[in-house]
Amino acid sequence: MRTVIAAVAAIVAVLVVIAFYPGGGPKISLNGTGGPRMLAGAPAQSFPVKRVDGAADGLDRYRGTVVVLNLWATWCPPCREEMPALERLYREYHGRGLVVLGVDQGEAPRVAARYARDHGVTYPILIDEDQQYGRAYAAVGLPTTIVIGRDGRIVKGIDGELTLAQMREAVAPALHAQ
Amino acid sequence: MTALCVAVVCIGLVIAQDVVPLVDFFHTWQYATALALGAFVLIAYANGAIKGRDGALGKRLALAIAGALVVTLAGIASGLLGPDTQTVSHAPGTVAPIPDLRAAAFFTAADPASIASGNAHVVVRRPNHGDVDVAPNERKFLQSSVLLLRPSHAAFVEARDGAGNHLTVTQPTNPSFLSPVLLFPNEEAIAGKKLPFDTFAVPALQRVVKTVFLTGAMTSTLRVPPEDAGKPALLFAVDDDRGVSHGIAVGPDGKEVTVAGMRLRATLGSYPALVVASAPEPLALAAGVVLFLIGVAWTFLGMMSGRTVPLRSP
Repeated sequence: MRTVIAAVAAIVAVLVVIAFYPGGGPKISLNGTGGPRMLAGAPAQSFPVKRVDGAADGLDRYRGTVVVLNLWATWCPPCREEMPALERLYREYHGRGLVVLGVDQGEAPRVAARYARDHGVTYPILIDEDQQYGRAYAAVGLPTTIVIGRDGRIVKGIDGELTLAQMREAVAPALHAQ
Repeated sequence: MTALCVAVVCIGLVIAQDVVPLVDFFHTWQYATALALGAFVLIAYANGAIKGRDGALGKRLALAIAGALVVTLAGIASGLLGPDTQTVSHAPGTVAPIPDLRAAAFFTAADPASIASGNAHVVVRRPNHGDVDVAPNERKFLQSSVLLLRPSHAAFVEARDGAGNHLTVTQPTNPSFLSPVLLFPNEEAIAGKKLPFDTFAVPALQRVVKTVFLTGAMTSTLRVPPEDAGKPALLFAVDDDRGVSHGIAVGPDGKEVTVAGMRLRATLGSYPALVVASAPEPLALAAGVVLFLIGVAWTFLGMMSGRTVPLRSP
């Protein structure tokens, strides 16, 4: 009888140890809130795309500068409303190592080019017909804005329309970082 | 001899978890009970053998029984305590957390060619560990889990206006809002058959497009050009954002069709979902099997030498 009890106790002990063993390695944050906010700290992904004038471009060409990556489309009213503020941000900070990239999601180059020209947009407009940036940056809607530091890592991901004041606040840490 | 048979059966039951990991039986109480009973028999035998009940030969066999016991306990742990099998389906180019593994699954980006060929991979990453790249028809072990891919219907859709301008495709009800790849998570009953169903939107034209994946066998029964019969196709039903219907069309794989003032093209194929099933800890399994084989071989050598007494059942 003592043998039986010892055997059962041994099995139970092993199972308990296995069940509650914490496992090796550090834990990573997996709070599945989704959206661009969860990307902070991750390396920014780049995809080769074209500018509205047909020239090859992509995020990786701007390494070493602070990048405000703005995902937009001409059919999106909030995107259109925040473009004047993005233009002002670009003009204000361009000399201090900041670039604004407007990445049009899924539209034809001439549609985006016409809109940018008609509304006095001077920052680079990229055409992402396959919507690769939108997928990679977990956009849950448009506009989506991603601030990327000089080291190529994402500083902040923001869903929705921003005011100029909010944009200045978002880029300040990246501009001040060495 | 009974203990040896029980050991072989237990090892077989545990290895089966690795061979066919998706079988639900491994997560039932019956499976756990069978292994627990086996473990009890093995412990009882080993206890007697160590005390010299079967002489020197029994002590040698106890080594094999110990190996079988390690395997059996690993099997109980993964079957009873391991997480249930889960299937993780996400849009191409996105990341899905897998909390049970303290890892994240990176679903590789897809273009029309990779959807058509169905050769997309999924990469599983953990902090401070190497990547585990899972390809179609492969299985990889990670901790006490086995990872494999299950292909499911997928379509890469492109939309253009009447003038040929490319249009944004969105999936408002999908976490991957800007993905042009449909993964058909739902089913729609048509003519008594449940068919893969998904929707997307073309916001520039205020259109919502419902789609149904039709297999080649189904298109053979539809009124389509002879060259498209037998090919898979997508059924497009276009509404406006108030729900008013604007037309229906069948778009064969890779062919552009015009409906409701839009030119739609779908490239059909598959995209994988990641399946995570619990499996016995590979190290424990390997160590146990090696110990078992060494013990059996040692016992067999002892029997050949004729210096030990024959085995008897416990």
